[in-house]
Amino acid sequence: MLDPLMEQLLAGFVDEAQEIAGRLTDQLIELEKGSDRRAQVFDGLARGLHTLKGSAATLGLDALADFAHRMEDVALPLRDSQAPLPPQVADALLRTLDVWMAHLRAVNAKLDPPALEASHELLARAKSAPHSSPAPQNPAAPQNAPGQQDPSPAQSPPSPRGALAGDGARLLVGELVTSPSAVLAPDAPNRRRRLEDRGPEESPQSLPAGEEQAWRVTTRQVVSLLHEVERLREVRLHLEERRREIERALQQLDRLGLKADNAEARAVLFSTRRSLTADGEEAADIVASMEDGLKAISTMPVRTVLEPLRRAVRDLTQKQGKLVKLSVVGAEVSLDRRVLEALRAPLVHLVRNAVDHGLETPEVREGRGKHREGALTIRVEQQGNMLFIEVGDDGNGLDVQRIKEAAMRRGLASEAEFTAMSISQIHQIIFRPGFSTRTEVTDISGRGVGLDVVRNEIQGLNGQVEVQSTPGQGTRFILTLPAELGSSPVLVVRCGEHQLGIPMAAVESSRRTTTVDVRVGRSRLQLRHREELLPLQDFGALMGLRQPEVPFEGQPILILHSQGKRLALSVDEVMGDKELVIRPLPAEVRDMPAYQGAATLARGELVLIVRADWVVNQDRSGESVTATRRALVVDDSLTARALHRTALEAGGYQVHTASNGRQALEQLRHAAYDVLVCDIGMEEMDGFQLTSAVRQRSETDSMPVILVSARDSAADRQHGTEVGADGFLSKKDCVAGRLLAEVASVITRRKGSAA
Amino acid sequence: MKRQPLDLDLDSTAERELLERRAQRVRERPQDAVEESVLWVAEFPVGEETYAIPLEMLRAAVPLKMVTPVPLSPPHVIGILRFQGQILSALSLASILGGRGWREDPAVLLVVDPGFGRLVALDCERIPKTASYPHPLVAEARARAQSAVIELTVPGMRQVNLLDLRRLMDRRNVGDVRHA
Repeated sequence: MLDPLMEQLLAGFVDEAQEIAGRLTDQLIELEKGSDRRAQVFDGLARGLHTLKGSAATLGLDALADFAHRMEDVALPLRDSQAPLPPQVADALLRTLDVWMAHLRAVNAKLDPPALEASHELLARAKSAPHSSPAPQNPAAPQNAPGQQDPSPAQSPPSPRGALAGDGARLLVGELVTSPSAVLAPDAPNRRRRLEDRGPEESPQSLPAGEEQAWRVTTRQVVSLLHEVERLREVRLHLEERRREIERALQQLDRLGLKADNAEARAVLFSTRRSLTADGEEAADIVASMEDGLKAISTMPVRTVLEPLRRAVRDLTQKQGKLVKLSVVGAEVSLDRRVLEALRAPLVHLVRNAVDHGLETPEVREGRGKHREGALTIRVEQQGNMLFIEVGDDGNGLDVQRIKEAAMRRGLASEAEFTAMSISQIHQIIFRPGFSTRTEVTDISGRGVGLDVVRNEIQGLNGQVEVQSTPGQGTRFILTLPAELGSSPVLVVRCGEHQLGIPMAAVESSRRTTTVDVRVGRSRLQLRHREELLPLQDFGALMGLRQPEVPFEGQPILILHSQGKRLALSVDEVMGDKELVIRPLPAEVRDMPAYQGAATLARGELVLIVRADWVVNQDRSGESVTATRRALVVDDSLTARALHRTALEAGGYQVHTASNGRQALEQLRHAAYDVLVCDIGMEEMDGFQLTSAVRQRSETDSMPVILVSARDSAADRQHGTEVGADGFLSKKDCVAGRLLAEVASVITRRKGSAA
Repeated sequence: MKRQPLDLDLDSTAERELLERRAQRVRERPQDAVEESVLWVAEFPVGEETYAIPLEMLRAAVPLKMVTPVPLSPPHVIGILRFQGQILSALSLASILGGRGWREDPAVLLVVDPGFGRLVALDCERIPKTASYPHPLVAEARARAQSAVIELTVPGMRQVNLLDLRRLMDRRNVGDVRHA
């Protein structure tokens, strides 16, 4: 009995095979008529049959894989013949193709599939028949093979493609089967029976019992709806903003005191605030629900395509006496259904190729000093709107000499051409149609059909394939293609006031800090984790938000792994894991290596997604402590912080920022700064209060402090001096470029007074 | 109030024809004749100076709120924000221009279309005012300009810096503009 996942895959494969069968029918007919683009059509035919074979094998449908292989045996030897495809061959292939589809549909519908033996005989006769184009058979005569079982219409229901032909279409269908491929092929030789002759129960409009009705919706329409959901999320943000404004108005009224003449206004504002809160929550629920629905329509997890490959690898390795471990990284990412469907066949090809050509037998591997079991890894990652899939093995690597020989044997390139080629260009030959290093045909490879299919399929998705190989060490195929839709599980954490996302695929585990497990070295921190010592980094420091901090008892720590490296990462808070749509960053920050993209959280705020490979490669243990002067800028204005940072960095300062007094005090608790530049007019704790707090701490009581104010008032200057500020600047002074000079001046004065 | 047609007692056909010719001339004056001769701009202060951008490039002026800072980004990047379903960069105009500050903390973001198919948000002290400059004046200043900042002396002897946004937003130029 098939498990639910296999059932889903099988149903998907029926649709895919139906489309391929339709194309194969057209191609056979074109070849039978004598095509002027014979080679191209034959290539298409070869690819289609190979895909049917490979996909059937992947799903464990061995009888169908074998059947497709027999069809290849009949069709492909005729590739080099210049004559039209003999009618008896075309007929046999079309019939057996229909039986193949009927068999597949029956398996999917859990019915008894038609027997294949008669079709095998039919193919065997076609293969042994002279290919001298005998007179065409009467297309009106039924050509059932002896013992051929007619798949009943109930077993081969008309597909929506047939229904699209329209009510009045005078389409003809074959007697043997009623496959949509035959219905849609205008010149199918075995067509005979008029559509209107069929019983009402066979009407193309009627859907098979139990099959849900479906609409055809274009991707553009789904993407457009997703954009509308994004806009709705912005409306939700605006509601939140309105609620905050009302909150502020209520606070102002509070400051005026409880008075009878503002009681009614207060009541109205309270009520409106309550309503806005409820409306906002409902809007957030609706947005989340719509997004989930659209995701379910348009995406599916990558594992639905990758997991069946395990079976294929197992079967192939058993057949070839090899030992292979398949590892899949990133299977939980959800992607555009169309992209995944189109990737199914290329991935099958690459995996079969790796097992057949790439990985060695256990004995050979041992002889080369490798582990007996070969490693085959598939890694999937979505970065913004780009999808990267890597299929890598640790096997033979590409053998340039064998590629050259095979290419010359098949006439794909000459000796002279090879002398002008780089190694990488020679590697590219494996993607040419008809290329194979196998000298004999097996049921897995050798026909020269495979990697050109992969390249064509990926190029059809506007993507590209790259191959990297090291002799004796292995080969990596890297597929890069655009994927507008898709979502990934992300762990959202907090560092200071920043929320940041880390792809869940890289998060091995999380734990709390136990200070006895933290080892403080001269230049690095380490964490003892499960009897292992891992490098420990402060996420806030990695992101340039603060000086590195030793995690306190109970502080959350994530254990990350990426690119074979592991790292313990201390964060301020773990907010939770979410399924997020990662979108590309705008051009101005897209090239930053730290980020994979940005996603929108349920309330509408953006969260940056940090690349796990970037994090694990930020090993700062070897960095020497530099003599760079450090400044802490405290301002509730983002843009003011940006500008002060610009000026101070230009003056050689390393700048950290804080958006409020509380956060600044927290940063000062962990690190020393050479100067504090602080805005006066901040909410919660203003610049005067912060300066007082700084002066009351022994660690910071002599730190130079400069207050910055929008107003240049004597009273503010006086107040600043009283609380212990060393300097005072108005915004006008900053415009005039006096910040750096003032910073230098106060630092010098402090040093002078200390001396 | 309902407007009544003028009840002119015109004596002669000649007078009628004269008036008709004048009316025709007015009717024939293209609606955009004035607009063709001037460049409409959005004017705003940056520090002590006045800057302007062509009005046609201004898509919206939104409150400087809900901007997500981008750690490790260049200093002129304030952060990213969502605008009509897109994710935009919010940039500090003063920082790009090499300025050192402003008189008031910017409260507004100008969403502009520099002309290469994507929008960018620039901070601004206040909502800009519209103004128009004579086209010949702008053309002459553009011809002289060496950078993305085009210096103009507009009627009333006011000094204004007209920004060539496309040039200013070019990555090679961001951070390199040092306007005296």
